[in-house]
Amino acid sequence: MRIVIVGNGVAGMEAALAVRRREPSWEISLISEESDHFFSRTALMWVFSGQMSHRDIEPLERDAYARLGFRRVRARATGIDTAKRLVSLAGGLEPVPYDRLLIASGSRPRSGPWPGSDSRGVGHFVTLQDLAWYEDEVHGGTSRAGGPPRADAHLRASESHSPYGFRDVSAKRRGRLARRPAVIGGGLIGIEAVEVAVAAGLRPRFFIREEWFWPIALDSRESRWIADQMSHHGVDVHLEHEVERLAADADGNVSAVHTNEGRYEADCVVIAIGVVPNTSWLEGSGIELDARGGIVVDESLKTSAADVFAAGDCASVRWFDGTRRPEQLWYTARDQGRVAGQRLLGDSLHYQRGAWYNSAKLMDIEYTTAGLVNWNLDGEKAWFFEEEGRVRSTTRVVVQQNRVVGFNMLGRRWDHSVLIRWIEEQRTLDWVLAHLNDAAFDTELVPPLRISGA
Amino acid sequence: MDQQGQNGLLTTYREGWRNRSAFGLFISLLLVSFYVVLYWEHKVQEQFGVAPFTAFSEAVGLRNRWYLYGLLYSVAMVAGAIYYLRRHGNSRYNRYRITVNVAIQIALGFTLPFIMPLFGGKEFYFSYFWPLKYDYLYPQTLADLPLYLSLYTVVGSLLAAPVLAVIYGKRWYCSWVCGCGGLANTFGDPWRHLTSKSTKSWRFEQVSIHLVLLIAIATTFLIGLDWLIGSEHPTFHRIVAGNDWRDWSIKSFYGFAVGSILAGVIGTGLYPAFGPRVWCRNFCPMAAVLGWIQKVGRYRIKVKPGMCISCGNCSTYCEMGIDVRSYAQADQSFTRASCVGCGMCAHMCPRGVLKLENSWDRPEDKERQRLSVVDF
Ligand SMILES: Cc1cc2nc3c(=O)[nH]c(=O)nc-3n(C[C@H](O)[C@H](O)[C@H](O)COP(=O)(O)OP(=O)(O)OC[C@H]3O[C@@H](n4cnc5c(N)ncnc54)[C@H](O)[C@@H]3O)c2cc1C
Ligand code: SF4
Ligand code: SF4
Repeated sequence: MRIVIVGNGVAGMEAALAVRRREPSWEISLISEESDHFFSRTALMWVFSGQMSHRDIEPLERDAYARLGFRRVRARATGIDTAKRLVSLAGGLEPVPYDRLLIASGSRPRSGPWPGSDSRGVGHFVTLQDLAWYEDEVHGGTSRAGGPPRADAHLRASESHSPYGFRDVSAKRRGRLARRPAVIGGGLIGIEAVEVAVAAGLRPRFFIREEWFWPIALDSRESRWIADQMSHHGVDVHLEHEVERLAADADGNVSAVHTNEGRYEADCVVIAIGVVPNTSWLEGSGIELDARGGIVVDESLKTSAADVFAAGDCASVRWFDGTRRPEQLWYTARDQGRVAGQRLLGDSLHYQRGAWYNSAKLMDIEYTTAGLVNWNLDGEKAWFFEEEGRVRSTTRVVVQQNRVVGFNMLGRRWDHSVLIRWIEEQRTLDWVLAHLNDAAFDTELVPPLRISGA
Repeated sequence: MDQQGQNGLLTTYREGWRNRSAFGLFISLLLVSFYVVLYWEHKVQEQFGVAPFTAFSEAVGLRNRWYLYGLLYSVAMVAGAIYYLRRHGNSRYNRYRITVNVAIQIALGFTLPFIMPLFGGKEFYFSYFWPLKYDYLYPQTLADLPLYLSLYTVVGSLLAAPVLAVIYGKRWYCSWVCGCGGLANTFGDPWRHLTSKSTKSWRFEQVSIHLVLLIAIATTFLIGLDWLIGSEHPTFHRIVAGNDWRDWSIKSFYGFAVGSILAGVIGTGLYPAFGPRVWCRNFCPMAAVLGWIQKVGRYRIKVKPGMCISCGNCSTYCEMGIDVRSYAQADQSFTRASCVGCGMCAHMCPRGVLKLENSWDRPEDKERQRLSVVDF
């Protein structure tokens, strides 16, 4: 049996491991345009700052391919011939035949829609090549641990629209490193791009279209705390700014961001306005895509073509609210990879999205959420508590018809699995508040949350 | 403010002296030379006619070079503690742990042993136990000590230390009390990311640490036997204990190989090359014993299910080379024998996935002994 997987991200690798666990002799090929090794995309920011090396963000040891008998194909896949069962490769390489195929090609950054978005010195923060570009602009190179091991000759054969291509570095051309970076887009990747610039000793600008940072997850009170933190660290947070164009100097290097509020100097711009499924290479292969570009799959992750499956960021899957769209999360990509692995083995298995939860770290503030928060449910009420003692935290419990349906917590650590259980058990607000510390996951010796006046 | 989690991003790999650069290795060379001169000062004296540490100790009024060493050790720990607390002191666990550890070193590792002889007593280190302080269970040592100290040593080594390890894990000793661990967590902290996480290094550790433990027990046993029958068997006595301190004997070999080379020269001298816990992880017989006890005790690291993003901060900053991530991403709470409970994995985790705790819950956590994620 020949298994071919396009993508060695978490979805692709989890599937490959699931297959190998049961079938020691099947031929498994992993095609990756981006990197030799499976790495954690979530960890790019720490490589940038120097907190971790490339080796550190790889969950498997570097002999994993050899030990597990995976065939590594470093190339760009350019299409699938579903009739002949072949994956074609860029650069005139031999197409790869498959019996069962998994597409796990992830996301690509959404490009800036503004004039000047392709100036030198403008980039993203999603791929390894983006990381290398941003490091070059700000630090003038990698940390002492060096870059990832890579045989990148094939990247030259990649089409210009590949997200894994190398970018021109304006710092090199200008002869000095970036001093005034700007980040556009108030989401999680945006704040990470801001944070690493702070760690490099710079004062980045942060352009956000909305009224406050990250409105899909935070309310105005919560977000104000994060904004204060950012300002405290020297970030210029520009809320309610619509970017209109990016200006470049005579040499083609980016020089300013123009918004509806005015002109702001910038010598390096990170566009972080979201990601889209990385599926343009599938055009013409007859595999059905939805309006967003996500690969249409059924409950068991099968695509419109026989023996072809899709998992991870590139697949349009069913969310916890029943809608179908791509979901760009580490744990959903991992879970889908595991299900896809079973499917490649020939098992029938459905992908089931459990309750919503997530966590993040916004500057120095830890964030945990579970259940339905910021959904504007009928008749919902929010109970909010701000702790301002030795520990600073906020607790928001969303209640609908006297039942707790969601939690949004900043500053402390919580076990989301306990919070989800309470939601499923339909607990009342009073009950939850009385038991809240049972869900605490604070480090030892941290005084427990005491709710005054409750 | 009490916070949890690392504040601000670290720049570890962008700082030359903290990596295996020429500068880092130069620091290592200095440390190694320091230990070589300290331990074999008599050789230096034979060669060059000066005993630098002894001369200096006497000049500043310390009775011998070991007090000078104790003083330097304390100074290095205080300096390292300041470095550590500036980076990671925002969390209470880190703050309390390091403060207690440094205070114990200053009080029990330096001041008390210095003062006791002034009052006609013997110098005694309350913070060390057998088998780390390997001569504290030698019959001769016990006979020479005042009764209360002999009792302290015997009860401390054979009863109190193991019982505390059942209740709190080995961390009560390795991360709160022990001087070796204390130096590693303060002066050695800048190099904690250099400890190898490879499966090979784990295999090495499993063999080496138990080998040293075996040798420690055998040496103690032979020296006990020698105390009983040595006078009737001069050859046995000569082999086990030697007639003169300069003789090569099992006793002096253990002191040389384990006490000086492994604990000192390699254990501390190679911080900037292999991370700060080379001794604790690979050789310390006390750590081996407490590790076994930890496996059956209450201590564990609890993993929050489904929240790990496999970033690797926990594994990178684990000074014992434990691949914490492999457990976290498998939603597997765990107790590893080598874990010293320094708390840095939980501190570094940006998603709050890990929590150190003492609990009898879910003892099946403790049985898992997988070598790596890809071992099926
Ligand atoms: C900066 C950043 C921070 C993030 N932080 C978090 C977080 O904190 N929590 C969270 O839940 N999620 C986070 N995410 C999202 C998370 O990383 C993704 O959801 C996850 O990595 C998706 O995995 P995947 O396997 O689907 O795809 P990817 O990891 O994107 O892998 C795609 C793979 O496909 C290959 N590929 C693509 N196209 C081709 C082609 N044409 N030919 C050959 N190979 C191809 C690439 O080489 C790559 O190996 C973050 C993302 C970013 C960018
Ligand atoms: S596993 Fe965590 S607590 Fe244990 S030694 Fe490693 S970093 Fe310290
Ligand atoms: S446990 Fe935390 S630090 Fe470790 S890999 Fe997972 S998210 Fe990262």
